[in-house]
Amino acid sequence: MNVFVIGAAATKFGELWGSSPEDLAREAFENAVKDSGLGKKNIEALFVSNVFFGILGGQVHLGALFAEEFGLTDIPAFHIEGACASGGLAVHAAVNSVLSGRYKTVAVLGVEKMTDYKPEIVPGALMGSGSDEERASGATLPGLYAILARAYMRRYKVMEKELASVSVKNHFHASLNPNAQFHNILTIASVMKSPLVADPLRLLECAPVSDGAAALVITSARPGGVEIIASEVATDSLGLAQRESLTELKAAQIAAHKAYKGSGFGPEDVDVAEVHDCFSIAEIIALEDLGFFAKGEGARAILKGQVTLGSSKHLIVNASGGLKGGGHPVGATGVKQIVEITDQLKGRAEAHQAKGAKIGLAQNVGGSGATAVIHILKKQ
Amino acid sequence: MKFAGIINYGTAIPRYRLKVADIARAWGKNPDDIIGSLGVREKSVPGTDEDSVTLAVEAGFSALSNSGVSRTEIEAVFVGSESHPYAVNPTATIVGGLLGIGTNYLATDLEFACKAGTVGMQLLAGLIGSKQIKYGLAIGVDTAQSKTHDSLEYASSSGSAAYLMGSGSVAAELLDYASFSSDTPDFWRRDGVSYPSHAGRFTGEPAYFAHVTGAAKLLMDKTKIIPEKITNCVFHMPNAKFPKDAAKRLGFTPEQLKPSLVVGEIGNPYSASSLLGLAATLDQAKPGDLIFMVSFGSGAGSDAFLWKVNKEIIFVQEARKKNKLRVQDQIKNKFYIDYTRYLRQTHKI
Amino acid sequence: MTNPVKIWRGQKGMANLIGQKGKIISWTFIRVPPAGFESQAPYPVALVKLEDGKTIIAQMADYIEKDLRPGRKVVAIIRRTIQPESDGVISYGIKVRPA
Repeated sequence: MNVFVIGAAATKFGELWGSSPEDLAREAFENAVKDSGLGKKNIEALFVSNVFFGILGGQVHLGALFAEEFGLTDIPAFHIEGACASGGLAVHAAVNSVLSGRYKTVAVLGVEKMTDYKPEIVPGALMGSGSDEERASGATLPGLYAILARAYMRRYKVMEKELASVSVKNHFHASLNPNAQFHNILTIASVMKSPLVADPLRLLECAPVSDGAAALVITSARPGGVEIIASEVATDSLGLAQRESLTELKAAQIAAHKAYKGSGFGPEDVDVAEVHDCFSIAEIIALEDLGFFAKGEGARAILKGQVTLGSSKHLIVNASGGLKGGGHPVGATGVKQIVEITDQLKGRAEAHQAKGAKIGLAQNVGGSGATAVIHILKKQ
Repeated sequence: MKFAGIINYGTAIPRYRLKVADIARAWGKNPDDIIGSLGVREKSVPGTDEDSVTLAVEAGFSALSNSGVSRTEIEAVFVGSESHPYAVNPTATIVGGLLGIGTNYLATDLEFACKAGTVGMQLLAGLIGSKQIKYGLAIGVDTAQSKTHDSLEYASSSGSAAYLMGSGSVAAELLDYASFSSDTPDFWRRDGVSYPSHAGRFTGEPAYFAHVTGAAKLLMDKTKIIPEKITNCVFHMPNAKFPKDAAKRLGFTPEQLKPSLVVGEIGNPYSASSLLGLAATLDQAKPGDLIFMVSFGSGAGSDAFLWKVNKEIIFVQEARKKNKLRVQDQIKNKFYIDYTRYLRQTHKI
Repeated sequence: MTNPVKIWRGQKGMANLIGQKGKIISWTFIRVPPAGFESQAPYPVALVKLEDGKTIIAQMADYIEKDLRPGRKVVAIIRRTIQPESDGVISYGIKVRPA
């Protein structure tokens, strides 16, 4: 498609009390620019992904804010939002801007600072990604995914421990990733002993509250780096009540289908994938929506270690630790996924490297599935 | 028809029950003493998300269902309560809106302690009887509040009863009514204060009994009716003792009073008390029955009503039975909670 | 403060839903509530398919544990939803209870 990621960097994710949003953004951006080998004066536009600065912090107008912060005087700057899919959407917007020929080189920033706020307001804030009816019902985002989990478990006769295995795998991967939020190993027993948040989902099956930033430099100016060979988006109903199915995310299926068709590659070609494991059930459903496993088979595949680093199978899922192990600063996640895939394809993921990765896929989902963004990247 | 009649009625009682014995034990009192003196074994407690609006809507919806009257034909909605959710902002229009009544109706809230609901019936009798309106809804509802450890706590409860009134073929016709009012400060609640206060034993003879018997005698004189000719009687029930005593003083037998006595199992839902007693009586009435009902509101006053039951009551009873909406069904549809949960659900903690 | 205008608009459609019967499709039990729902927590939230074909999501009231199962018949009712501020407008909304 003649669009490449030539600079990619992310900060550590976690409870970063001492870092302001600007600190995190600057760290990611400057490292991405350094990685690109281009000066920042070559950057013609900035796409910013963030979810909560407006709702919780009273600050909007983020394009201008960060353009100024980075010393990118005068350039067009945009704030892109699609709940937890904001990062993927910002990358997609950046890709479109380059493909259109309007710009040659652009930057993407994803940043979130969630720990500045009282924990009690997070469940309600996350429900900004759902519908009015869902908010009036007192549902929370884990609650919505729990409704999906219960329907899925019933339909495919899947047990709680198979869901728990997602967290176990992702913490194992995270323990090999210095930038991940968590480095502790989990066991199925410890996950299943953790308190229930929204039955049947437990605390250790839910992605944490995190701070962090990630940035990319995307260009058509010169090949090199990693090529973006697919960037697709699809939407579905905002609320769960209006969905056709409770055991799959149609938006993810549609976006994946478009991405595979457009790129000429299929699920069997993907070596490494970063999927949106905001909750354990989300990764299971993602593996099926993306065509990696048949319906109802995703959970067992994860439990059996088939997508864990070191597996004899060639597809590794969430080598970075995903959202659960790596952390989920909501606006940064979709951008970090591209950073991670870029690192994997460039062979620089060190201890959590998936060997010989040539084709990588990132799946970023908003809310309970109303937005899905799929990117496929190819090693040069 | 001189006044109006009841076309259909609906009732609502929250499902949660707190045993009087549990309240007594929370305060280190002997449960048997309390139950013995009040005659109340358990009381209804509203859910955390219930209030006078939601209970009025529930009863109102039931009154409007299977009534043959379309919602937009209702031309008056009166809601009487001591626990209107707002001091200013009528419960009647919130309920009217949620019931789909439209816009072409007179709405107002009423207050007169526990008799606020029955006042609505008299107002409708006037409007319908003078042919100014065809149909109206009178609702008595309360999620009664009481101070913890106060004697009122044992019986103050929640419930609602809604009466769809009109003329023509009615299930029960209002033959006549009378009211007895005076300035008697036996029980009151100041604006801005959460819980009512009362004057102890003063609420007995000079308040309840003086007004209940006063209104009853006025009505008996007016209509020349005698207790022997009446099928059933209903009195406001602050506990089980007072209505039994009032019935006896006025010459009624315990059997005549029995069908109305809901207080033993649900407590005193204030503005819904006598109206639920009336509903319980109507649920088992036969065509031709005469029902004598007297409400009581502290402050103080009583409204007395003489009803004649018609054959149309059979259809009303059948629908209520089929849908398990009779007072007895709702009394039985219960689960017990403990004192701590009662404190949570009534927003005290 | 919860927006009175939004509450007013939201309440307009509710009259048609009250009394409608439906069945539980799936549900969860919310133990970590959003702000404004603390006094009601924990509580079940269910996806309910109504008789007229519409699917709604609503909190379940007046339930016992064995009511929480797929296929359980429920009926739509009006209850308070989010806790109002002490001087704010009260929000009423659709919930379901076992039928």
